[in-house]
Amino acid sequence: MAEGGVAKQANRNEETTGCEIQTVSLPSNFSLCSRYDLIALISRMLVFLIQINDDAAQKKTGLADSGKGEATDAADTDGSSETKLTRFHSSVPPPISVYNYLIRLTKYSALEPSVLLTSIYYIDLLSSVYPAFTINSLTVHRFLLTATTVASKGLCDSFCTNAHYAKVGGVQGSELNILESEFLKKINYRVLPRDDNITWCKYEHRAHEFTIYNKAALTNVSKPTHTQRNSGYNVLQMYYHKIIQLVGKFSSSLDKSKKANYVFENVPGMSSALSTEKKPALKRHLDHNDQKNQPDFILAVKKSSTSPYTFKKHVTEELKFQKD
Amino acid sequence: MSSSSQFKQLEKLGNGTYATVYKGLNKTTGVYVALKEVKLDSEEGTPSTAIREISLMKELKHDNIVRLYDVIHTENKLTLVFEYMDNDLKKYMDSRIVGNTPRGLELHLVKYFQWQLLEGLAFCHENKILHRDLKPQNLLINKKGQLKLGDFGLARAFGIPVNTFSSEVVTLWYRAPDVLMGSRTYSTSIDIWSCGCILAEMITGKPLFLGSNDEEQLKLIFDTMGTPNEATWPGVTSLPKYNANFQQRLPKDLKMILQPYCESPLDDTVIDLLHGLLQLNPDMRLSAKQALHHPWFAEYYQ
Repeated sequence: MAEGGVAKQANRNEETTGCEIQTVSLPSNFSLCSRYDLIALISRMLVFLIQINDDAAQKKTGLADSGKGEATDAADTDGSSETKLTRFHSSVPPPISVYNYLIRLTKYSALEPSVLLTSIYYIDLLSSVYPAFTINSLTVHRFLLTATTVASKGLCDSFCTNAHYAKVGGVQGSELNILESEFLKKINYRVLPRDDNITWCKYEHRAHEFTIYNKAALTNVSKPTHTQRNSGYNVLQMYYHKIIQLVGKFSSSLDKSKKANYVFENVPGMSSALSTEKKPALKRHLDHNDQKNQPDFILAVKKSSTSPYTFKKHVTEELKFQKD
Repeated sequence: MSSSSQFKQLEKLGNGTYATVYKGLNKTTGVYVALKEVKLDSEEGTPSTAIREISLMKELKHDNIVRLYDVIHTENKLTLVFEYMDNDLKKYMDSRIVGNTPRGLELHLVKYFQWQLLEGLAFCHENKILHRDLKPQNLLINKKGQLKLGDFGLARAFGIPVNTFSSEVVTLWYRAPDVLMGSRTYSTSIDIWSCGCILAEMITGKPLFLGSNDEEQLKLIFDTMGTPNEATWPGVTSLPKYNANFQQRLPKDLKMILQPYCESPLDDTVIDLLHGLLQLNPDMRLSAKQALHHPWFAEYYQ
């Protein structure tokens, strides 16, 4: 499913297999990127990460079936030998693809590009202070739901209730409340994607302090040097560019949800303002245009919306959640 | 990290927008704190106001911003542990009313408070944070004459592009004309307008523009500051709630308006600063940094 409508502006390439792969030119500024292209990219990035983490986990546990889970990269995520369960874990991978789940959340909770990219940033933030957490096929759904909820409430002026987010995401309202609270505690309420937020957050965790301003805690540990805080725009910009570099190419991506090669519309090094002026015809258009071009997504989401998708019985109740 | 047993809850200080505030005593250190209790609602989860307030205030360490020390999680509530302050500017000004006549503050105190307000605000703006609810109730003061910005429940970071900037911000009397006319592209200038209103209020003891709804608020602003047009404020006619039938008014002399309520003579520099803060066109308003360099504050920066 989700073959992806062919955008009018797109150039076409014939691959050796014979199927058409469109080439989509993306604006250099993430906030101008169509949400549907952004979702396709983020989904590819997540599937890539999940593959690595699932393989690593399988390698650790699966002694018998050595032929099966061939690890792509020796990703030594955390030092522990056993997989720790977190509140983000489902007992089995929920049967909705990351791509479709993101489409669903974005459509029904009106997620903005900033929120989507901040969620990816939150993977790095949360992992850096919570080693038991990795993004994998069991954690990705609950993580995305929690991250987009927190980012929407923390960054945007218009947002929905948790009851709404939970319904769209297919969990109980009470569970999302717990996930949200857990997430905020873990990241110590550092919800803004600022330059050195991760460094500060790690520092606070090590010092067991809510804020870094406690003088006693400042001894022996070197403080992050960056004091002039930026808005966070460039951090999201960096994630956007990295994701396109890593998974922009269709052939090198495991996630085949959208047949497209993503490239920047401008020559590297050229400012986006310049390039949009020079090549108006290539400019990708915003969401309302895209929605017209991609009726199949909307249809797919609408179908499932009549009966909100609920995850299989999850295991969080049985978990003894470890307190720091 | 603190636990709730560390604090002794004392008298109630007030009901905030989304929380109840108590005075508290830190039993280990003997220091007074303000404990802001936030109920966790099953529909909302953690209120976004609490997420904003905590995430923004924990980054702001400045002498003129109320310090957030910690957050305590209990079953169904969050408790924010703040620096304790004796009073707020609103209550302090109210306490000076004699009979029905408001009395402004002494001008040297007005200057000291305004300086601290602008220092705190300049720090917020440097850190890419808009307060969006500056008013006397949210300016906390103590016996040492310190003034600190509090209540960041409506605040937000700016610079991260999001489509939706609410125009339902800032308490009506302190709301800038561009926001009243529905602008959603405001930035730091939104807080500067409030600072201008607060300065005038400290001088006279009464709010400068006492409207009861958006239309009346705009009318009162224009009655004093003049009605804007494309010549004085390019782009004003394209604002969503611009009305071509606004009554045409000419700017009045602010000194004439304020002097009757002020016991000591107002000099022209403070009036000039007021004009800089209360520019109708947001692009023409002073920044907090610029305002701190205004000649009225010469004694502080020399």
